[in-house]
Amino acid sequence: MGLSECWKQLSWIYYQYLLVTALYMLEPWERTVFNSLLVSVGAMAVYTCYVFMPQHIMAILHYFEVVQ
Amino acid sequence: MARPAADGSVSLRLSSNGLKAGDTEKNGFHNKKEVFSPGNGVASRPQKHEPFEQAPMYVAVMTYLGFGIVTLFGYLRDFLRAVGLEKCHLAQEREEQKDFIPLYQDFENFYTRNLYMRVRDNWNRPICSLPGPVFDLMERVSDDYNWTFRFTGKTLHNVINMGSYNYLGFAENNVDFLKTVADKVNQYGTGVCSTRQEIGNLSIHEELEGLVANFLGVESAMIYGMGFATNSMNIPALVGKGCLILSDELNHTSLILGARLSAATIRVFKHNNMHSLERMLREAVCSGQPRTHRPWKKILIMVEGIYSMEGSVVRLPEIVALKKKYKAYLYLDEAHSIGAVGPSGKGVTELFNVNPTDIDVMMGTFTKSFGAAGGYIAGKKELVDYLRSYSHSAVYATAMSPPITEQILRALKCIMGKDGTTEGLRRIHQLAENTRFFRAKLKEMGFIIYGNDDSPVVPILLYMPGKVVAFAREMLERRIGVVVVGFPATPITEARARFCLSAAHTRDMLNQVLHHLNEVGDTLCLKFSRRKYTSRPDLCAETNLELDS
Repeated sequence: MGLSECWKQLSWIYYQYLLVTALYMLEPWERTVFNSLLVSVGAMAVYTCYVFMPQHIMAILHYFEVVQ
Repeated sequence: MARPAADGSVSLRLSSNGLKAGDTEKNGFHNKKEVFSPGNGVASRPQKHEPFEQAPMYVAVMTYLGFGIVTLFGYLRDFLRAVGLEKCHLAQEREEQKDFIPLYQDFENFYTRNLYMRVRDNWNRPICSLPGPVFDLMERVSDDYNWTFRFTGKTLHNVINMGSYNYLGFAENNVDFLKTVADKVNQYGTGVCSTRQEIGNLSIHEELEGLVANFLGVESAMIYGMGFATNSMNIPALVGKGCLILSDELNHTSLILGARLSAATIRVFKHNNMHSLERMLREAVCSGQPRTHRPWKKILIMVEGIYSMEGSVVRLPEIVALKKKYKAYLYLDEAHSIGAVGPSGKGVTELFNVNPTDIDVMMGTFTKSFGAAGGYIAGKKELVDYLRSYSHSAVYATAMSPPITEQILRALKCIMGKDGTTEGLRRIHQLAENTRFFRAKLKEMGFIIYGNDDSPVVPILLYMPGKVVAFAREMLERRIGVVVVGFPATPITEARARFCLSAAHTRDMLNQVLHHLNEVGDTLCLKFSRRKYTSRPDLCAETNLELDS
């Protein structure tokens, strides 16, 4: 089944993430805290990119005189 | 605390009769690599390449990351405990004593409280059978994240034992083999109730000492009731103030404790690094004692036969050559190597074809290969007679118990062949074969292993704290008991799982273990090795220069 195969692969990747960051040793609520922190920092980074990327790209193109 | 991996490569010394690579037979034991020169006490067998492979950089980064995250959460939990939001399970002072000097130093136990306690279900597992090749475990669970345990009442049967120091398989309860032990209990009882010097010197002790001296090829030996105490209580009798001890970086705690108790000056040389040792010896002989520059009364080099955390073997011929050149004494601790290496089990002296009289103090324990308890010190008759009077262990410690002495006697007679069977030799060969097979297969699979190819102690490097714990739990689920070791016993980035092979392991058991190791290695991504190993032994001898790291 494609979907259960995909789910197994994802859960293996999540397991690796838990092992590498040593979250495997922590209690469930600590994992939640860490994951929420990570997700919120990631979301803020994505939002910042979304808001500021067009301006940065225009500035670069302007500097290299590709567009006036 | 990360120590850079020392490269243990060795320069190939060509002795006068040259070296031949080929297949030879010695004692019916096929040695595929090199030929032993005629045993005139001159060691000429070159050491095999002992690599301490370093892990890829990302592994070190991830290890530090894991430790960093757990440390941060440790601070958080400590804060919650201090504030009172969380119940504190540890010992605490009473309210009335809060103004006194603190009794429980908080920060020192940080690691224990915040890392070890979370995962301590992997250690101190209660065993309810004898620690043979398979054993039974009592199942226990914890409801509050390992602060307390309770037993479920179930027993896990026939878990394969890869952690006991049962090298020759003498931890057995076969009635036929143990008949002599039962007889001696009838004859002598179980307790000695005295020290050797007072009234505890039994005839069975004298018999064992004679046999041990005979086995090792030295003049005389003395036995003690406890292996750790053999080192820690006898080194102070041999050296004192004004003497110099040169001890290897990775020496066991008993040696370090004995050295510190003796009040001698201790200098540490890099692990198995002969350049470092020679430099220290030269400096010691030239400059003498620190302020007065008088010559040292004695220089004692302390090394072990097999280092139990790395599985590496000491470079005995080179150390003996250095000791003769600079007129120092050598103390060899063969706790793990006696009975386990060498064509007839006589330890590293036999492995390297070194004359036992070249080593001044030979020490060993009976806990590993002989399935008993206690230790011995062997050497010249004057040395052992001196120790009989001046050693703390001889004067104050209770003598070895008679059934244990008889167990060692029967194990020794079995190994030496004196009981009329070839059982001892068979076990030694079985252990050597198991060792070679296991190590070769692990390297093929792609794990990073430390140590010499001959040593039955096989550490597999796991590095990351999360993986260490997951490894131990996974292996237990698959009915294999392993020992994992982490920070205080090893450097912080080099956590490992240590496998101790035994002559009692059958090929089936090893195959089963290897199969599960393969699966667990894939599931947890533990195969960090970047070398390509084939199952062919390499036939060409390389010349490597020793690196001074």
